[in-house]
Amino acid sequence: MDYIDLEALGLKTNFTIVDWVIVILYLLGIVSVGVYIRRYVKNVTSFIVAGRSLKTYLAIATMIGTELGLVTVMYASQKGYTGGFAAFHIAFAAAIVTLMVGLTGFIVVPLRRMGVMTIPEFYEKRFGKGVRILGGIILAFSGILNMGMFLKAGSLFVMGVTHMTSPRDLKLIMTVLLGFVLLYTTLGGMVSVVVLDYIQFVVLSFGLLATSIIAIRNLGWHHIVDTVQQVQGEAGFNPFHGEGFGTSYVIWMFFMGLVSCAIWQTAVIRACSAESIKVVRKLYIWSSIGFMIRFLIPYFFGICALVYIFDHESLRNIFLPGGKTADSQTTLMAMPVLLSQILPAGLIGIISAGMLAAFMSTHDSYLLCWSSVLTQDVVAPCFKKELSSKTRLLLTRLFILTIGIFILIWGLWYDLGQDLWDYMAISGAIYFTGAIALLTCGLYWKRASKTGAYLALVCGFLAILGLKPIQRFCGFEQEIPTEIVGLTVIGLAIVGMILGSLIFPDRVTEKIEGSEIR
Amino acid sequence: MNFWINFWSFFFYTSLVLFGGLAIVVSIGGFFNIRSMFKSMAEQGASEEDVTENNT
Repeated sequence: MDYIDLEALGLKTNFTIVDWVIVILYLLGIVSVGVYIRRYVKNVTSFIVAGRSLKTYLAIATMIGTELGLVTVMYASQKGYTGGFAAFHIAFAAAIVTLMVGLTGFIVVPLRRMGVMTIPEFYEKRFGKGVRILGGIILAFSGILNMGMFLKAGSLFVMGVTHMTSPRDLKLIMTVLLGFVLLYTTLGGMVSVVVLDYIQFVVLSFGLLATSIIAIRNLGWHHIVDTVQQVQGEAGFNPFHGEGFGTSYVIWMFFMGLVSCAIWQTAVIRACSAESIKVVRKLYIWSSIGFMIRFLIPYFFGICALVYIFDHESLRNIFLPGGKTADSQTTLMAMPVLLSQILPAGLIGIISAGMLAAFMSTHDSYLLCWSSVLTQDVVAPCFKKELSSKTRLLLTRLFILTIGIFILIWGLWYDLGQDLWDYMAISGAIYFTGAIALLTCGLYWKRASKTGAYLALVCGFLAILGLKPIQRFCGFEQEIPTEIVGLTVIGLAIVGMILGSLIFPDRVTEKIEGSEIR
Repeated sequence: MNFWINFWSFFFYTSLVLFGGLAIVVSIGGFFNIRSMFKSMAEQGASEEDVTENNT
């Protein structure tokens, strides 16, 4: 990893010793809360879905708290930096799609009605045990790969804000943070995740709003607009412009909006944890604002970073060499550098503490999610005798530790080579391209069969070709854009599901247990 | 291009105001929800213990 020495460029960070104290006290505080909450965890249901006792406001807070993590802020600000105001279309798409899911109950209401804990559990009820196990493996693989870059994003944030340059210190800090996450996730489960997500929601919501106001006051709205116009031209505003995102990317983002709120396991688990179907609908309707803002504000920070960098020649040479956008790792650091310059001491500590806690909060949600998928959907169905609640809890905790070690190694080793958001989208696509076909057809088409489900899952796995190192490994002469890979694979998965179901229908039509298909 | 500049400006400021309102309401409502969640989980735990005791 190359490190930018910002102090050598004459830039001093506003992050002082006071801010370090704030960060340490804050992190210790939330870890203590997480550990204390352990006494409320009595069984696997309370560990994974908080006893299905989430009421509307808490469900909204925890949904937004999970999705508004440091990683989200990092990848979204990078997209704002590289795409300008045109990147706002992703936030727009997320809001519209989440609102539509809330109003119609598409996918999430039938899932909640069935009382499943994970999506592969639905696969079993609808298509059988084999589909559940394969689906669980693909989901966990995709999810763990997806969170593989979290530590790197977190480390770049710490570097950008504090202007640290020593790789050794940084690795140590990231390892300690991961240790904290593992501690309270393995002990507290979903109950502690829910409470900590609530704290995250409160701190980050107000922190991000305050930072937006400070950024506008510092740079000036008209100056921001003019600079984006100067650097990126029309492509910086019009998402359909050929030199910017383009139409296929916009369509891909609408799919991503649907996936993020209704198909991605970490969001669906919130729907499964909700007290009732009424709460699920309310949760999605209100969360549409959160799903929009979690992208919108960081995009704006990225745009402000672009403007700030453009105004300073020394930074311009690094972040915009020869007037072109720098490599992925450098552009990821643009937003933290902006924060280190415009936020006053004290406030930068609170924001950083919130961001780092959010980093831990996202980690804990994801760790809990993928480890419970591995336990409930891959290991448990392989045993003829039902595993006891105690064994499942132990297995879940063991998987949490194993995944934690994996992401520590992967984050430090993997060469990103593309915008973080595109990496996240395509690594997630390994799972969700197949899942879209299984969920929509499984819930709304009676003839969907087991063979069709297998075909859709296998087709979905082809999304792995969207990762740049995989494309290079396969010897592709030209890089294929992630949106083209993603949209093609979605099409293939749906065709696979339909053809497989029509040619090889199930012998006995299975009806989803305890649910009405609409 | 002016259309997009105006559209995104309106979209951004409207979203900030909406989110500000949501943040206040959810922060207050969420606090009370946490209290009731702990209460219901404690009751659930107590009733599970009662059942275990009766079975033994």
